[in-house]
Amino acid sequence: MTAASMHSAMALDGPPDPELVRIRDLVYQVAGIFHPDTKLRLLMDRCLRRMQELNTPSLRQYFECLTIKPNRQAELVALLNEITIGETCFFRNEPQLDALLQVVLPKVIEAKAKLPIRRLRIWSAGCSTGEEPYTLNMLLLEETQRRLKDWTIEILATDLNERSLAHAKNAVYGSYSTRNLSAYYRQKYFSAAGDQLQVQAQVRSNVAFSRLNLSDNSRMTFMKSLDVVFCCNVLIYFDLVSKRRVIQHFYNNLLPHGYLFLGHSESLYGVTDEFRLVHLPGATAYVKGERSPAGKQAP
Amino acid sequence: MITTTSKGSLLTRIEGLNQIPTIPAVLAPLLRYLEQPMEQLDVQKVTDMIAQDKSLAAQCLQMANSPLFGRWQKVDSLRAAIIGLGFQRVSDIAMSCGVLNLTPKTGAGFDPVVFWEHSLGCALVCRYFARTISYPNPAKAYLAGLLHDLGIIVNLWTLPKEFGAAYELARREGIPLHEAEQQVLGFTHCDAGRLLAERWELAPDIREVVSLHHSSGQSHDHAGLVALVELSDLLCRMSGLNYGYAERRQVNLLEQSGFAILAQQYPALQDFDWARLTFELDSYMDEVHNLVRTIYRK
Repeated sequence: MTAASMHSAMALDGPPDPELVRIRDLVYQVAGIFHPDTKLRLLMDRCLRRMQELNTPSLRQYFECLTIKPNRQAELVALLNEITIGETCFFRNEPQLDALLQVVLPKVIEAKAKLPIRRLRIWSAGCSTGEEPYTLNMLLLEETQRRLKDWTIEILATDLNERSLAHAKNAVYGSYSTRNLSAYYRQKYFSAAGDQLQVQAQVRSNVAFSRLNLSDNSRMTFMKSLDVVFCCNVLIYFDLVSKRRVIQHFYNNLLPHGYLFLGHSESLYGVTDEFRLVHLPGATAYVKGERSPAGKQAP
Repeated sequence: MITTTSKGSLLTRIEGLNQIPTIPAVLAPLLRYLEQPMEQLDVQKVTDMIAQDKSLAAQCLQMANSPLFGRWQKVDSLRAAIIGLGFQRVSDIAMSCGVLNLTPKTGAGFDPVVFWEHSLGCALVCRYFARTISYPNPAKAYLAGLLHDLGIIVNLWTLPKEFGAAYELARREGIPLHEAEQQVLGFTHCDAGRLLAERWELAPDIREVVSLHHSSGQSHDHAGLVALVELSDLLCRMSGLNYGYAERRQVNLLEQSGFAILAQQYPALQDFDWARLTFELDSYMDEVHNLVRTIYRK
């Protein structure tokens, strides 16, 4: 079966292809990113791109490329790149942002109510070209006349990739990145830059970009006193040992009331005993805590 | 505003009212039929029962064609649906349509469609969750999920204005509906549902689910089923299948009494992947929305 004919077969409603389900389960097991049945077609498209590149005719053979062929690690990374491509945009995961404002922010404010310094510290770990930290800052700037009056907001934004960071600092974005931007935010926080949009200075001013490798243990220990960490679609590239090390750093860096947000459909199952999964409206997050006596979070 | 003195008497008022919906003609025999051992069930008899009600039969066909019920090729007759889907699935579908037709079309500022979405979504999640933890009777779990909120139907029919106020409070404050009902009415849909479940002479396990799905710690004889529905209901509510609003709170499923009950009975829960189950629910959301809106908006 050719990739093209397979694609047309997938266009028909049908039970999920068992080979595709195996790839879905492999991606979840290795990278922690899950494709529910309704997103399997998307996963299929991503696999097809790789299969065309490799000239691999069937999902069964492609599964072998991901599991037993010598270059399986590189192929997995290539597939993950396809899966996360185009993910970066302003207001990418609205339920997560709503949960931040509606549930997490009140809890952080309450936890810090009696402290002399009112400071909110958020880290966008793996910020790519900057859309996530700027989105967070715009949302929080909206609160500075209300719940965050007299608070200092610090957004730390790090990435491994220098070019991404340069783009982030330049803060000029095309239509794809700004596709979810409402007219309100567009007018209030952006200026025209040719046919693109530039983030205004007031949004850029308290976002601190720096290059950081999450595997750099000594640098990681300096990221202190955080209220919230966002680490979306980054850990998926790490092996289990490295993932555990990074997660341990996040755990140490977060304040006791702190929250860790991952990407959409991204999970820490089997990675940590210390973070607890919590359900927020329309989103999940991880909080610090002891294991519940009734059960445990992960093996 | 309802006074404190009137609150306690509202439940008594419901008890005396005749507006509590009667069990639909098709549903009563179906429910009783389902209680029999599987090998004694006759597919033709079910077909005949459903076919008595033309609109129910048509709705069944629409649902039977949804991937939610595992059907990928179009079925265009009730008979084909029953042969293709199997007796249990068709019973599930008929039950769903039968129960969900009970909601009043309008009233109380509460869109009955969201009630339908929640009930059907919860039924599907209960069945899926039951299979995942090897609960012995996933079909029963489906039925329990479908019927758990019967009390809301009672409140909609008998106290639309007062229930409307409770619903508005829940929406405004982002709190669970049963907490708002307790504040405004002095009782919850669990209490109201118990009355209906008794009047309809539903099976004891379903009655316990209807009465105790927000307080599984109080259940005695059917704690496993009640706890399963409690957790599935909570997952649905936190994942966008609430009653048309979001509860603004944080939930740790491991801290729920339902979890402690289930974990004792089902070792699979010790290392259960809640994140994955939550992501799996995404598959249901759009389908449930589309299906319910197609059928209900007619």
